[in-house]
Amino acid sequence: MSNQSIDRDLKKGSAELLILSLLESRQRHGYEISKLIESRSDGAVRFRVASLYPLLYRLEDRGYLQGRWVEKAGERRKRYYRLTPAGRKVLAERRSGWAAFVEAIRRITSAEHA
Amino acid sequence: MPDWTQPVLDRIRNLGLSPAREADIADELASHLEERYRELLARGLPAAEAERAALEELESGDALASRLRATRQPLAREPMPLGSTRKGNLMESFWHDLKVAIRMLAQRPAFSLAVAGMLAIGVAGNAAIFSVFNAMFLRPLPFPGADRLVDLDETAPKWNLTRVGISNPDYDAWQKGNKTFESMAFADTGGGANLATPDGGSERIKLAAVTKDMLHVLGLKPLIGRDIQAEDDRPKAPAVLLLGYDLWQRQFHGDRNVAGLIVKLSGRPHTVIGVLPREAVLPPNVDAWVPLAADVTDGGSYHLGGTGRLKPGVTIGQAKADLTRIHFSRQENAGRITSPVVFPARDRYVSDFKIVTRILLGAVAVVLLIACVNIAGLMLVRGEGRSREIAIRTAIGASRGRIARQLITEGFVLAAAGGICGVALGKVFLTGLASLMPDDLPKWIRFDFDGRFALFCIAITALAGVLFSLAPVLQASALDTRGWLQEAARNTFGKGRRAMLGTLVTGEVALSLVLLSGCGLILQAFQKVMHENPGFRPDHVLTFSLRPSPVKYPKPEQRLSFYQSLLDRLRALPGVRDASAATIVPLDGHSGWFYRAEGGRQFGANEQTPVVLQVTVLPGYLKTMGIRLASGRDFDERDNRLDAPKVVMINETFARFYWGTTDVVGKRVAWAGNGPTGPDWFQVIGVFKDMRHYGLDEAIRPEVFASIAVTGGAFTFAVRTDTDPHTIVSATRQEIQRLDPNLPMFNVRTMTERLDRSLWTRRAYSWLFAAFAAVAILLAAAGIYGVISFGVSQRTREIGIRMALGARPGQVLSRVLWQGMLLVAAGVAIGLTVSQLTARLLTTLLFGVSTRDLATYAGVILGVALVGLVANFVPARRAARIHPVEALRSE
Repeated sequence: MSNQSIDRDLKKGSAELLILSLLESRQRHGYEISKLIESRSDGAVRFRVASLYPLLYRLEDRGYLQGRWVEKAGERRKRYYRLTPAGRKVLAERRSGWAAFVEAIRRITSAEHA
Repeated sequence: MPDWTQPVLDRIRNLGLSPAREADIADELASHLEERYRELLARGLPAAEAERAALEELESGDALASRLRATRQPLAREPMPLGSTRKGNLMESFWHDLKVAIRMLAQRPAFSLAVAGMLAIGVAGNAAIFSVFNAMFLRPLPFPGADRLVDLDETAPKWNLTRVGISNPDYDAWQKGNKTFESMAFADTGGGANLATPDGGSERIKLAAVTKDMLHVLGLKPLIGRDIQAEDDRPKAPAVLLLGYDLWQRQFHGDRNVAGLIVKLSGRPHTVIGVLPREAVLPPNVDAWVPLAADVTDGGSYHLGGTGRLKPGVTIGQAKADLTRIHFSRQENAGRITSPVVFPARDRYVSDFKIVTRILLGAVAVVLLIACVNIAGLMLVRGEGRSREIAIRTAIGASRGRIARQLITEGFVLAAAGGICGVALGKVFLTGLASLMPDDLPKWIRFDFDGRFALFCIAITALAGVLFSLAPVLQASALDTRGWLQEAARNTFGKGRRAMLGTLVTGEVALSLVLLSGCGLILQAFQKVMHENPGFRPDHVLTFSLRPSPVKYPKPEQRLSFYQSLLDRLRALPGVRDASAATIVPLDGHSGWFYRAEGGRQFGANEQTPVVLQVTVLPGYLKTMGIRLASGRDFDERDNRLDAPKVVMINETFARFYWGTTDVVGKRVAWAGNGPTGPDWFQVIGVFKDMRHYGLDEAIRPEVFASIAVTGGAFTFAVRTDTDPHTIVSATRQEIQRLDPNLPMFNVRTMTERLDRSLWTRRAYSWLFAAFAAVAILLAAAGIYGVISFGVSQRTREIGIRMALGARPGQVLSRVLWQGMLLVAAGVAIGLTVSQLTARLLTTLLFGVSTRDLATYAGVILGVALVGLVANFVPARRAARIHPVEALRSE
């Protein structure tokens, strides 16, 4: 596997994993998701509108997420996303894949210091 | 509050979204930007700065649009890099895949070499056999419009002959009466002549006596000089000659002024009128053409072959019907003994090879298939090793299509490498094969590579690539990431994939069993043929032919006396035990006559009449050739005069066929059909044991050895020696030159050589088949070994636990062995069933060996089982030696 393709798969895969994880417990709208990512990573990871929403739409197109409009008086309407059963399954897969990946990286990097 | 909707709309306007969708997206993004704006304001930023920062979220409009566009693409596709077109992306990812594939393969040289090597072996066999098949059956003959050329002949089922040749009146009638041919020409290729060469020597050359249109039918023109004209092609016309290209080069050194030259053929002067082009390869293997100059009213014999050029659009069936109509409208053919037949032009020369080459093609295809199965197994096993990599790539977002594409690219890179090596190896193999072939193959059979060959090689390589890429792709696409990773983490082998490998092993064993049993039957038949008693003793016999010029020896007595003095001189040579002569020695051809037997079996008008092989022999022939007498006596000096009583010897088949007994010395036979004074009877003075005149694996016909008083002929001499018969060739040539300096000796061969040549095809395909079967079983053994070893290595921990729990090494050994042998047994069972069906295809090659020959099958099954046992035993023993503690620690 080349660095280039790892890099590409990695970014895309990790972003999806982040979004799916954040929606696991409850439904959220786009701004909320971006805030959570930023705050929980202490500002290390940040998604801009231009990258976040295309990702949300793609996950929705794949049937992992479902979005719906919620209107409140005196506010702009907001679109909330929640995880579908398919999304839940993918999340579980991605999570263990990620864990294996991180573990692999850990083994490799820590081996140098062992 | 700034307007957030408009900036968003500006950026997504060109996406071609539906207005509703556009509004939704604008709303959602605007809501986001608004919240961001509020947040920034709350942090104390000035309004203008907060607005600018919020709008930065959109980055550049292009980036947003292109990402959004990507989400509207079909799901399987990867998002495209910015600013690239779709096409560019595909090409780019192809090159990318290719680079990655080559790098991956280079990292595992042993694996890559094993795959490419196995494929190369499979492709090489296919390439070589296909080029033989291509040369014989597919490549067009070197004539313009060759697809419209047909071969003409007559058939006579009543005489048990498929081809009898065409008679003069028949060819004349066909030529004049047909409506389906553009043109047709006829040739007698049985002739030859002694050419007085420019250097004063003489060379025996082969002649085709052709009708005037032959070159025209072939669509060719003379290279030099003129074609045969109507006035050349009639009885008593001045003798003319068209030199063949090779003869022109050989004896006339390509002299372009050769036309008009007078050359002597067996003493008779002929004018050279031209030179044939190199492409004039039909009739095959002749050195020169002379006009047939036939008397078309003389229907005495069937001796011509025909070549016709069909009118465009006419089928062979229509042409045959046309000729049949003309044929039976002739009074002479009312008896319906012969009838016209039309074949594709090449049939006459290659039809014997049709079944053999097809069977060989089938055999090499099986070898290739086994190689593919093996490779698929290797790929699967390696796929296991790569499971972590694939699982991680999938986990971090690579689509399944993407991974499949990568695996297929790797498969094809391997296939291409194997294919190229295979073709190179095939070329070597083919060169070896061609050098073993007899030198009298028609010249148009050339084994060069051509476009058709290239296409074939590309096709089989690609097919192989698809076949062996399929398993890993299926494996990867059936992948359940989580399960996979857990499995990979445990380092044991999935049940489904173990079953897949097991199926491959079983299939491999079955395929090799099919090939091995076919090979066993063919070798059995070969053995049977080799042990067949030829009925003559081929060792220590030299044979050669002489054709004394009728100009120099016009009378039969003169020729006989020449033969006599030559034989006397030969017998006097040191090392020579016997010498004699016959018009046709065994394995040298056929001359068919019809006979009747006095007081013997009669034939009705519609009964099949056997063709009798008639050979004129001189005294001492039986002894020289080692043919045994059953009863009566051989010819001796009493019979060696033209005016002696007419006597014959017959073989046992003749005696039994006509009289039902071999006790027939003293009875009389005659040619069928009455002469003006009734039948001309020949007394049978001896009955000789049957011999295989036409070849060890050919049927025996009734045979008559006639004395010189019955009929004359041109002789082939046989000399039995005490030493290697080759050692007397030069002494023999000297004796001939002493008697007649201008008489070339030709057709010089020992009987052993003749026997070898007659068995060439059988020997060649038997050994080829054996070679393919050997490769097949080796590949299968490697496959079994690889799969079982892999299984053992994957189950190290399980076996370790078993042994920790008290399993003894012997139990582990037998368990692994048993599992492996179960696969082999299943393969044997399937292979046996299939081979029962395929063996029938071999029947014509088996010389009476049963397709269910017990010994063959027993041997093959035992062999396969043994190979399977060895291939299983090595990994099983390794399993039994696993140390439980180490096995567990390895985790």
